[in-house]
Amino acid sequence: MAEATKKDMPTETAENMVTLTINGRETTVPKGTTVLQAAKELGVHIPTFCWHPKLKPVGACRMCYVEVEKMPKLQVSCALEVMDGMVVHTDSDTVKQGRKAIIEFILLNHPLDCPTCDKGGECDLQNLTFAHGVDDSRFEFQKYRFVDEGMTTTFDDRRIGPEIILNRNRCILCYKCVRANKEAFGEYDLGVYERGSIAEINAAPGEQVDNPFSGNLVEICPVGALTNSDWRYKIRVWLTSTTPSICNYTSSGINTLFFKENHHNKIYRVTSRPSDDIDDGWLPDVTRYGYQIVNSPDRLTTPLVKKEGKQVEATWEEALEIIGKRFGEIKERLGGVCVGALVSPGLDNASLHAASRLMRVGFKSNNIDFRGDYRYLPESSESPFMRLCSRPFKIADIDDSDVIVTFGSDLIREHANEYLRIRKAFNFGNARIFAVNPYQTKSADVSSLELVYLPGTEESVVNGICLAAIEDNLVDAKRGEKFKLKTPTKSSAEAAKVSGVDRESLRTVAEALAEGKKITFFTGEIITRSRQRDLIASALINLHRLFGLKGRAQMSALARYANSKGAEKLGLLPNPRTVVVDKLRGLWGEYPESPARNTDAMMALIKKEEIKGFLILGSNPVMLYPDREFVKEGIEKLDFLVVADLFETETTELADVVLPLASWAEYEGYYVNLEGRTQKAARAVKPIGQAKPGYEIASLIGEALDPEMFQNEQQIHSEVRQLLELDSVIAYPDDFLEVKADTDGSQGDYNLPLYIIDDWHHSGHLTEKAPSLANFASEPYIEIPPQLASELKIAHGDSVRVESEVGKVILPARISEHTQNNVVLVPRNFSSSNVTSLLMRKKRVDRVKISKVDE
Amino acid sequence: MFYSPVITNAAEVASHKDLHLFKYVEDPKQHEIGTYQAHGGYKAWKKVLNGMTADQVTEEVKKSGLRGRGGAGFPTGMKWGFVPKASPKPRYLCCNADESEPGTCKDRVLMERDPHGVIEGMAIAAYAIGCHLMFIYIRGEFNHCRERMEQAMNEAYQHGHLGKNIHGSGYDLEMIVHTGGGAYICGEETALLNSVEGERGMSRMRPPFPAIEGLYACPTIVNNVESLASVPHIINRGADWYGSLGTEKSKGTKIFSLSGHVKRPGNYEVEMGFNLKKLIYDPAYGNGMLEDKKLKGVIPGGASTPFLTPDMIDVGLDYESLQTVGSMLGSGAVIVFNEDACIVWVIKKLIHFFRHESCGKCTPCREGTSWLEQMINRIESGEGQPGDIEKIEDVCGNILGRTICPLGDAAVMPIQSAIKHWRDEWQYHIDQKQCMVKTNFDFK
Ligand SMILES: Cc1cc2nc3c(=O)[nH]c(=O)nc-3n(C[C@H](O)[C@H](O)[C@H](O)COP(=O)(O)O)c2cc1C
Ligand code: SF4
Ligand code: SF4
Ligand code: FES
Repeated sequence: MAEATKKDMPTETAENMVTLTINGRETTVPKGTTVLQAAKELGVHIPTFCWHPKLKPVGACRMCYVEVEKMPKLQVSCALEVMDGMVVHTDSDTVKQGRKAIIEFILLNHPLDCPTCDKGGECDLQNLTFAHGVDDSRFEFQKYRFVDEGMTTTFDDRRIGPEIILNRNRCILCYKCVRANKEAFGEYDLGVYERGSIAEINAAPGEQVDNPFSGNLVEICPVGALTNSDWRYKIRVWLTSTTPSICNYTSSGINTLFFKENHHNKIYRVTSRPSDDIDDGWLPDVTRYGYQIVNSPDRLTTPLVKKEGKQVEATWEEALEIIGKRFGEIKERLGGVCVGALVSPGLDNASLHAASRLMRVGFKSNNIDFRGDYRYLPESSESPFMRLCSRPFKIADIDDSDVIVTFGSDLIREHANEYLRIRKAFNFGNARIFAVNPYQTKSADVSSLELVYLPGTEESVVNGICLAAIEDNLVDAKRGEKFKLKTPTKSSAEAAKVSGVDRESLRTVAEALAEGKKITFFTGEIITRSRQRDLIASALINLHRLFGLKGRAQMSALARYANSKGAEKLGLLPNPRTVVVDKLRGLWGEYPESPARNTDAMMALIKKEEIKGFLILGSNPVMLYPDREFVKEGIEKLDFLVVADLFETETTELADVVLPLASWAEYEGYYVNLEGRTQKAARAVKPIGQAKPGYEIASLIGEALDPEMFQNEQQIHSEVRQLLELDSVIAYPDDFLEVKADTDGSQGDYNLPLYIIDDWHHSGHLTEKAPSLANFASEPYIEIPPQLASELKIAHGDSVRVESEVGKVILPARISEHTQNNVVLVPRNFSSSNVTSLLMRKKRVDRVKISKVDE
Repeated sequence: MFYSPVITNAAEVASHKDLHLFKYVEDPKQHEIGTYQAHGGYKAWKKVLNGMTADQVTEEVKKSGLRGRGGAGFPTGMKWGFVPKASPKPRYLCCNADESEPGTCKDRVLMERDPHGVIEGMAIAAYAIGCHLMFIYIRGEFNHCRERMEQAMNEAYQHGHLGKNIHGSGYDLEMIVHTGGGAYICGEETALLNSVEGERGMSRMRPPFPAIEGLYACPTIVNNVESLASVPHIINRGADWYGSLGTEKSKGTKIFSLSGHVKRPGNYEVEMGFNLKKLIYDPAYGNGMLEDKKLKGVIPGGASTPFLTPDMIDVGLDYESLQTVGSMLGSGAVIVFNEDACIVWVIKKLIHFFRHESCGKCTPCREGTSWLEQMINRIESGEGQPGDIEKIEDVCGNILGRTICPLGDAAVMPIQSAIKHWRDEWQYHIDQKQCMVKTNFDFK
């Protein structure tokens, strides 16, 4: 369980401090601290049931009684604030008697089915009964029993969500689940019903507890009232041991704990490993259940090599021999520059670096990238967008920001953890919060104002904010004049017209940016995926300069994947920063002079048959690159393709050699989160079958090409460390940048904007293989706003034909009240949706037309 | 529309120089604004608007010594003074009209028969705390009260006593009539606030107190109907006059709801400190015991207050005097039992109520009231076991003073006193498996 830290406590200044005595020991703590927290700091343990460090105290369970001199009644320490001179006893006879009575009360109607309860062994009630309870019950009546409809036994077993099962009889009504759901996640799918001794927790009538944070409810339930299908009836907790790890699906670096069983080399669950600076102890479901792919029976366990057009199992020796031979031939015949590589930003630092070395030293090629699902990437590391990416960002600084702007981000679906932070700021702080998006997202719940702009008009929104500030004298006039020289847009009114955002809203944001003392401003995937990301970034850099945000704002384009930031820092892109290139040259004694190509350029060259050999580590460009035809046609023309992944994918299908890749749970790896913080994921289990970590694969391939290439792990790690030490922030230019609004042009009939998103419970291309996540969503769909659906007479579940200039797919409709604007959303996580076949890389905004398929 | 058939001492009040709350409650037209105004209504409101500052109003009420009539007896003016002056947040006033304590039925009479008096009191209180939106939270079952209050509110708006720029003073005040969903706990002030917010009616932890952080986390004053209805009289006749009534620490007048085995159950407005024995036996009030049976005991302040035995009833009905005999004034519901009442049966009825009404938030009350009910039912039905009484006492001790809100205390205090005063009767029930007293009956 998460511990309260100093950070949650009021700040320490002399007049803010309070001195009290707990069990005879004097302590001084900040005003506003609770007695429970103060005792904790002293190492004095007070038992609790309903207290949670991240939720407001409710004083419901009454387990945390203490005696305070001069106060006649027992006090609940979780809600009692310290006062000067307070004399507290946490273990007096009265306190002990009070706690005993509480345990007795709680056990009155508790089923005591510990032998079959999954919480056994880690149950607060079990533990506290042993520690503080009595041996005997004085209760001589029939225990009250909730029985689910249709059940004949007195065992309550209600599936209240795709994953969650509720046993109301075990519930001790600590309300933690309902409180967390409401306070921390903003969800109302769980509630309290009835009164008194028959009060019960239950799903809201007609609803499922299926929000993207629902797994936390199971974790924080102090007893076995809430269990999930992931863990229940599978193993007893005392047979497992734990390994600390990091989430591999999000970029926050959420801290996790694997529960594994060594004899079976199997992971049984993931829980939080609370870190207040990063995650506050909350896990999105994709983080919690995503580990299941590690255990999947579909995992690739041996290398496969193509023989007579068919992939057949092979040994590593055979596979490496073929790889060495074929890559060797290409290198010999055409030069190493005819080889390229694409690596996944989910891989650890060592794997990324080993791949970089393989390409740059082994092949003397600069054809490498880690961004397999973006179009028209910046060529240069000093492009405006890459500069924006490089800016420092601290997750915890969201908490006390007074202005928060999220721009182009369907927040929960890409940065769930940061959404929770913003929600916290919304609940507890005084921040002005703005969500600026091309369609209304669920972040509207935690925004003071949501600005919805017309798809593809991002730079006009930014210019509009700047111009409104200039026009209304909110910023330095001289700077305003300079700004105007670089911006063809004449006025905020014009920007408002182009972007569809009213001027009043633009001005409101401008005002906040002008006044804010601690501003958090970040962009999300809608910007990162935009072909015009550099233009938008230029507009933002101008805004930064115009408002003089330096020193009072953290403004950055957030990394999306577990190690995107690491890949950026280690130079896993065609033109790394000069410092990185110099460092690499120093380390290796050489650095290729050959032209550098990003993913798009490599794909284009493959199509032109100029790149003939290709290595893919953990990426699935065929599924995720926003132009399926473009990638597929190219890859089919390759002479030789090696793909390493956890599963067979659309991309491995086309490979000459497929290598089984170890997952992040199967080897020790280091990952750099979006803040630039390096964290370790320890090895929880042995790699499945013959799977190998990425760095080993890269090293083995290098060795197969040239035995000199061999590097041991220590060497790799030492190089990585030196690279990470380099300053990664790229300064902003000294003057305003040219920002000329761009338009996409008409697309005729195809005029409905389509956004590719992650499903609420999925991330990237692997999570389909996690059964628990599949319980939430396993089929592709198209999310349609209600208004549009009714215009087109499309009902929930109807088959919808989705057509673009280049493709057509049929998807079931999901009518979603989250989106109200004229856009449709399709998740990219389901391989059967083929959604990228609708996309064209040259488009700024993808547009489609949709119609109901008549049966 | 009809009056609820409740006896009052309106006639006495009408001719009395100091009693005031019930002066016109028997006038069938008093609920109409014309009549109310003809009787001097809204004069206090205008006086406040035309010449008093908010602080002056609060001071006046402080000086009068008025204490809360909802049960706790907290000084009203002092409570208003807790509203932080500097807070930029809006302030709210909630009139607590959830009257659900068994035996209590005074607020209902005021709302039904003199609704403008309540509104005028609310308006003055709102003015005193700088509030521009006030609520009245009416018990869900009180349909008639709701209709009366809504009608009166509409009239008040029409006559310019509510709304914008009231009587040209520049002061704005809006009012909302809100009805409860039928839970006793919603009368507890913090549960009431949750209920108004649309949340589940469950008590909140204090601190923060509502005056600092109440409705929608803004400063909020919750006052009982009777407390507020007293305010216009204080403004009209002055704090000194009000302070001259009652005892040293319990000022003014109070309505007592007399019920049970008396000849004339009803609502009686008397001066604080009025003698309980007189209230029961005087022909002007209770007029003695029903069928002249012997008195067994009295609950003086609503179902949640400890019993008094016949030897204790020569006592003043005020906060302090009742405390000295081990009970409380509470909401002023005096429930009288004669010798035929089996004490175990009475307690069974009471614990049933409290068990049913426990909101379920805190462990001792939620689990304890249910356990107590089962044990008490068992004794009442003749299946009590040796040791049950001690166990009940012990469980009561584990609830008393250990819950979030006073409902837990309310549930156990009558039980504790019933065992203290009539232990032999409980023991008899267990040993003989029947009532010690002859007859059993139902509450009417
Ligand atoms: C369980 C419970 C029920 C209550 N019910 C009522 C009620 O129905 N009416 C009321 O005025 N006060 C009730 N109270 C008291 C209120 O919490 C609060 O003290 C009162 O409304 C304050 O007003 P006053 O200061 O004017 O008395 C109740 C308290 C408790 C604990
Ligand atoms: S289900 Fe669990 S977390 Fe929720 S109230 Fe019951 S015991 Fe507490
Ligand atoms: S004492 Fe009873 S009514 Fe009051 S909060 Fe606790 S459970 Fe609810
Ligand atoms: S932990 Fe303090 S009341 Fe539950």
